[in-house]
Amino acid sequence: MTTVIMRTTARAIVPIILVVAISLFFDGHNLPGGGFIGGVLTTTAFAIVYMGFGLDFLERGILGRDVDPGKEPSRDRVVLAYRRLFAYGFALAVASGLAPLLFGKPFLTQTFEMLEGVPIYDHLEVASALAFDFGVYCVVVGGLLTILSVVGAE
Amino acid sequence: MSPDLAMVIAAVALPFVVAALTPVVFRVLGEGTGFAGTVVALTSFGLLATQYGTNGTVGLEWVPSLDLALRFYVDGWALLFAMLACGIGALIFAYSPAYMHGESGLVRYYAALLAFMGSIVGVALAADLIAIFLFWELTSLASFVLIGYYTADDSSQYAARMAMLITVGGGLFLLVGLLLLSLVASDVLGPGAAFNLAAMLESPETMQSALRERGLFLPVLGLLAIGAGTKSAQVPLHFWLPNAMAAPTPVSAFLHSATMVKVGVYFIGRVRPMLVSTEWLFLFATLGLTTMTVCAILAVASTDIKELLAYSTASHLGLMVAGFGFTSVYGAETGVFHLLNHALFKAALFLVAGIIAHEAGTREIDELNGLRHDLPVTAVITTVVALSMAGIPPFNGFYSKELLFEAAVEASHHHDIGLLGWLYPAVAVFGSIFTVLYSLRFLSLFFGERPEALGHVHRPPVTMLVPPAVLALLAAVISVDPQLAVDAIVQSGLEATAVDPHEMHVGLPTSYSPALGMSAVTIGVGLVAYPSYGRLHDAIRSVPRAVPPIGANWWYDTAVDGLSDEGRAFAETVHDGTLRTYATWTLAATCTLALAGFVAAGAIAPTELGVEVSLAIALVLLVAVIGGVAVATAESHIAGVLTLSILGFMVAIFYILASAPDLALTQLVVETLVLVIFLLVIEEIPERYEVEIGTVARDAVLSVLVGATAFVTVLVTTGARPDGSSEIARAYAEQAIPRGGGANIVNVTLVDFRGFDTLGELAVIALAAISILTLIVMRDRDGDRTAIRDGDELTGDEPAVTPADGGDDE
Repeated sequence: MTTVIMRTTARAIVPIILVVAISLFFDGHNLPGGGFIGGVLTTTAFAIVYMGFGLDFLERGILGRDVDPGKEPSRDRVVLAYRRLFAYGFALAVASGLAPLLFGKPFLTQTFEMLEGVPIYDHLEVASALAFDFGVYCVVVGGLLTILSVVGAE
Repeated sequence: MSPDLAMVIAAVALPFVVAALTPVVFRVLGEGTGFAGTVVALTSFGLLATQYGTNGTVGLEWVPSLDLALRFYVDGWALLFAMLACGIGALIFAYSPAYMHGESGLVRYYAALLAFMGSIVGVALAADLIAIFLFWELTSLASFVLIGYYTADDSSQYAARMAMLITVGGGLFLLVGLLLLSLVASDVLGPGAAFNLAAMLESPETMQSALRERGLFLPVLGLLAIGAGTKSAQVPLHFWLPNAMAAPTPVSAFLHSATMVKVGVYFIGRVRPMLVSTEWLFLFATLGLTTMTVCAILAVASTDIKELLAYSTASHLGLMVAGFGFTSVYGAETGVFHLLNHALFKAALFLVAGIIAHEAGTREIDELNGLRHDLPVTAVITTVVALSMAGIPPFNGFYSKELLFEAAVEASHHHDIGLLGWLYPAVAVFGSIFTVLYSLRFLSLFFGERPEALGHVHRPPVTMLVPPAVLALLAAVISVDPQLAVDAIVQSGLEATAVDPHEMHVGLPTSYSPALGMSAVTIGVGLVAYPSYGRLHDAIRSVPRAVPPIGANWWYDTAVDGLSDEGRAFAETVHDGTLRTYATWTLAATCTLALAGFVAAGAIAPTELGVEVSLAIALVLLVAVIGGVAVATAESHIAGVLTLSILGFMVAIFYILASAPDLALTQLVVETLVLVIFLLVIEEIPERYEVEIGTVARDAVLSVLVGATAFVTVLVTTGARPDGSSEIARAYAEQAIPRGGGANIVNVTLVDFRGFDTLGELAVIALAAISILTLIVMRDRDGDRTAIRDGDELTGDEPAVTPADGGDDE
């Protein structure tokens, strides 16, 4: 499926997908979106890269590393990074849940703060739930990409 | 005087703490770790001794919202058992270094022994049903580890598994019994007393009548009896105990004679005031006397000294159970006093057996004789404790056996039990005759001609000689002055277990009584029959060989092997390696369970389908249905996948029309991802299968079943929805902005209101990724272990990737 059409299309749409995914993630608290949707969409972008350019492209083309083509993906460097991503994401989600305990609040209590007079945005809401949601995002991206690249390499 | 919580908790916790530190202690002390164990056991003993004479409940809040507390109940019975465990534990720890010299895995050995001692103290003192169950099962676990100590030995693994299956299986019966008990208690005594055994024992009559009213008396009695019976090796589940002799001898002395197997007896004594009744008499007196007799006969048939002692232990446990089974005060006296006496003489006998096995190098009864020349001190010790086991006056075993005879005779005075009133004393005497026989046989190892074949027998080291000597000395003291032991602890133990306790007096009989006559018959017949011991031994051995089903082991092996074979056959049917079989079984089982659940709950009721759909939605759904039909008739996989995604996208549009943009977004994104993944793997799938007509029919039936289940589920769940918006839905809508700070109620619910659910879902995603990784790595594990090791090293030195990669993500 690594056709010219596929590659050209991928070149154009992958950045757009990534930007949309990130905006969905950040807008999630007030508009449709959120960590889960943003995460799945990000994964889709990666999947398209995989389909168009092959599994090793990320490392060889973007990170500029030498990759042994026959190497098993489960021990591949990028997969290790994915694994770490979902582990850290899960840790972040748990940690953001544990943080309120320091202030004598129950587990997973969330709060938010309105910041006024911020340049460009004028007023900006900072929700503590964003940290938790970022954990969700990381777990989804890390977990799905791990599955995708390991299964895809089969 | 009420007990001191800190002391009690320290006594229970100390062995566990040291057990956790065993690797460190072992690094410092090496094989001398056993002596550290002695210090721990003596410390716990001392801590418990400070509570001597106290009575009452102390506790800590554990889970207050569930009315769970870590309660400890201190009284004479609890202290007797706990201090016995610590005292014998101290001797076992002192005995171990010499016996286990040069063995590997000593860290595991000492850690398990210490943890076991903590659990046994815990089970003795616990006053909370949950805590009792936890400590109870911990003793089984420790026993499993210790029986399976010789990990390379198949018979030892077999014995460990057997002990685990039987005792933990029995523990499950106990658990159900305890839960029934707690249900009744929370009704009668208030929810605060749901798990509080001490509170239940304070009002035993109320509990018993409440149990009877609800028809739960017999079930509870039966369940607790199964739990206690498996733990205390009662017939017909006694067979794990002789097999458990695969453990090192100090373990046998500690766990499988003096303490762990007595937990069942202890518990029977503990709940005795609450459940004592005519049914209780029938159940436990019969069970105990049967065990006592059957196991005494089997002990005579033994060829190995440890096997003989194991059957003898089961037989004496039967004696204690029978004692507690008799409802008169003599019954309780038997149980309490014999628990102490038996621990003293049987632990000593096991330690003697350990000395013989260690120094003479064999445990075969036929090969051992005339050991008194080589082991003179051991011979003296054995004489005291073996005669005590036989119940020969004036040794201490005699007093408790007299009490059993008295209780058996008394039984017909208290209850109208007809023929059983004669049968109980007769069986007690009959079983005791065999006790005399095997006790004398054990003693005879030290007397007579020393066989030529027996090699040089070493003198045991002093640390192996002192522990049995201490036990024999204590037995001798009680033999000389039994009233001393009664006053010290047995009397207070009696008060906790008897319904109508009174001053207990024990001493040599001065006038004739039926019990004395029974003792005389027992000893007389035993002595007369002893010369034909060999013929008896052969005769008993020939029975199970002729009729295998008479042996309990046969039943166990048949059941376990049968279950294993069935399990393997079932697994091969369900998991035959093709994905379609897996899917068939999983889907069919899930649907059947779901539908059966709806039927059982009566959830399926005819409902009116108030269908009001707009034209747009109807169109979208129509396209979805057409897409679904197209999937089923698709010629190729690509066409099938593409048409399937039509269905998925139509569902997304339906969500948009139903004003659920978040759901629609998720559906769209997931649908896209799934499509992409399908396209990735589709090349791997064979273009066409040769499909039989039967398979097609199966698939069709399965599809209809799945569809029906989904349909019914949707109907049932939407049917159960309350009219209008529920209180919680309104609350979420109102609170989303002020409390959550977000206008997207779905997201606020996910990350804020129901954050814990989301956390659980994250765990699911992470687990799914980990399982797929594991599956793929495990698949070719055998081929290249080195590659995996390389991969593991990579994990260590690759932190640099994450920032670069993470940068890409953002």
